[in-house]
Amino acid sequence: MNTQAATARGAGAPKIVGFVCDWAVATSDLVDAAGRVLAHPSVVLIRIPCSGFIRPGWLEDALRAGADGVFVVGCPYGDCLNREGNYLMRERIDQLQRRLQRRKVPAERLQMLAHGLHDREAFLADVAAMIERLQALGPGAGATGPARRAAAAGAPAEEGGA
Amino acid sequence: MYRKALTALQRITLRLDVAVNRIYPSDWNPLYYTGGLANLFLFILVLSGIFIFFYYVPSLTGAHASVAYLTELVPYGGLIRGIHRYAADAFIVAALLHLFRNWFTDRYLFSRDSPWISGMFLLIFGGFVGATGYILVWDDRALAVLGLFDDLLRAIPAVGDWLAGLLLGGRGVSEGTLPRILLLHVGPASFLYVLLWWHYVRLRHPKVWPPATWVLVSLGLVTLLAAVIPAVSGIPAQPGTRPETMPLDVFFLLPFWLAGLLPPGLVVALVAVTLGAGFVIPYLGREEPREMGVRHAGVAQVIDGNCTGCELCYYDCPYNAIVMVPSPHPGLSRAAASRKLLAVVIDSRCVECGICIGACPFEALELPGLLEADVTRRVQEAVAVAETVRA
Repeated sequence: MNTQAATARGAGAPKIVGFVCDWAVATSDLVDAAGRVLAHPSVVLIRIPCSGFIRPGWLEDALRAGADGVFVVGCPYGDCLNREGNYLMRERIDQLQRRLQRRKVPAERLQMLAHGLHDREAFLADVAAMIERLQALGPGAGATGPARRAAAAGAPAEEGGA
Repeated sequence: MYRKALTALQRITLRLDVAVNRIYPSDWNPLYYTGGLANLFLFILVLSGIFIFFYYVPSLTGAHASVAYLTELVPYGGLIRGIHRYAADAFIVAALLHLFRNWFTDRYLFSRDSPWISGMFLLIFGGFVGATGYILVWDDRALAVLGLFDDLLRAIPAVGDWLAGLLLGGRGVSEGTLPRILLLHVGPASFLYVLLWWHYVRLRHPKVWPPATWVLVSLGLVTLLAAVIPAVSGIPAQPGTRPETMPLDVFFLLPFWLAGLLPPGLVVALVAVTLGAGFVIPYLGREEPREMGVRHAGVAQVIDGNCTGCELCYYDCPYNAIVMVPSPHPGLSRAAASRKLLAVVIDSRCVECGICIGACPFEALELPGLLEADVTRRVQEAVAVAETVRA
């Protein structure tokens, strides 16, 4: 599957995993049953209770598992239903971007977005922009090298405290 | 019906946000600071109120004259009186916007009922303080409001007459009336701060103050209004007479205006039903629990063996639902073996947002409805199903 994915990615769109706060942008009619965005089938969304629910380690895990990019969608800043989730997540992503840059993973692979319940157009525009940036970067070799993937597959639990 | 209406109102509220966010950065959106603005106006009211208090004479013959002296002869007295009037109007507008906004955007769910109930009390006491303020001016409108207030109190079943005698100082207007009204103005106003403590007690970093720009704009706005449209008194009150009409004030005197049109008993019932409905709102959700999916993932649970007592979840929880207690026994993992503290989730404060899970680097917290294993599995599935070749 790895080689297949690599060749496919060379030609096609980058794989992106998106975590979407269930109070933020409504995506029920934007995705198919498997969570793929209809307009961009290489982007898969996972609904979560609040953007602040995401442990930064999970974003790293997603990159390691083969995603070329990861984003988290929260409510507009100042309007988090849980008051501070999106601010906290923005800080965590900033920190993770700096940490990953030391391992030569470009910051563009991680992104924090903020869109309200009905802001579908703005959300899709941001996703399209991210796809474009990742396409310019090329496949996510930096984060998804074979050694790391093997390590992640072997002992995923060890990386939680990274 | 109720659910459909709420969904529509939520859509309108959020669309309004988007429109305002196009003008201001979202960190500055005044609609995100309605509570802070109400608190700011309350602060302006307290400062200007203390100033006015020094000049006010609560007697039947002296009240109107002392307000006239303050307005006309004290330097800036008229301006400060105007600021007191318009800040009160702005306070009630901001507080109502705060109420409707939090209602329409579901910010009353789970354990957020405590700020909602305290907020209802703040609204009741705030409205009461505003109404008694109009009586203190002691002009013809004050007398009309006092008469209607007396009617309304007496229309309350069983305790009405006793309550009217207690609050207004006996039957009819007497020298005891105005000191009592003054106390009913200042006392509940001070009590608002006790209620505010209740309103904030479960919030970590409550946004009690709007951004500096909005503080200056609000101050400027009430000052400008006070200068352009000065607050004035009507003709002095003549106790014993009953004015036929009174100038309508939509901010505080709506129930009194209604009491002039409808029988007082009906108005009391209307007010009681409205307020009662307000208290029930947090218990009538827009959705059934089973419809909420990941939004209702259960109260966060601490994994005792993994908790290192690092306090990160304690600092990040926006509702003060996590407390650190002295650890009764060492943890199981290596990092937790020498811990001094243990995190404990207070169930009655948790809103099931999962922010503590994101804060914990030691896998020591979980939402029962969405475990870390579930998220990891979903990420693996997501990477597997992502279609990398465009159709």
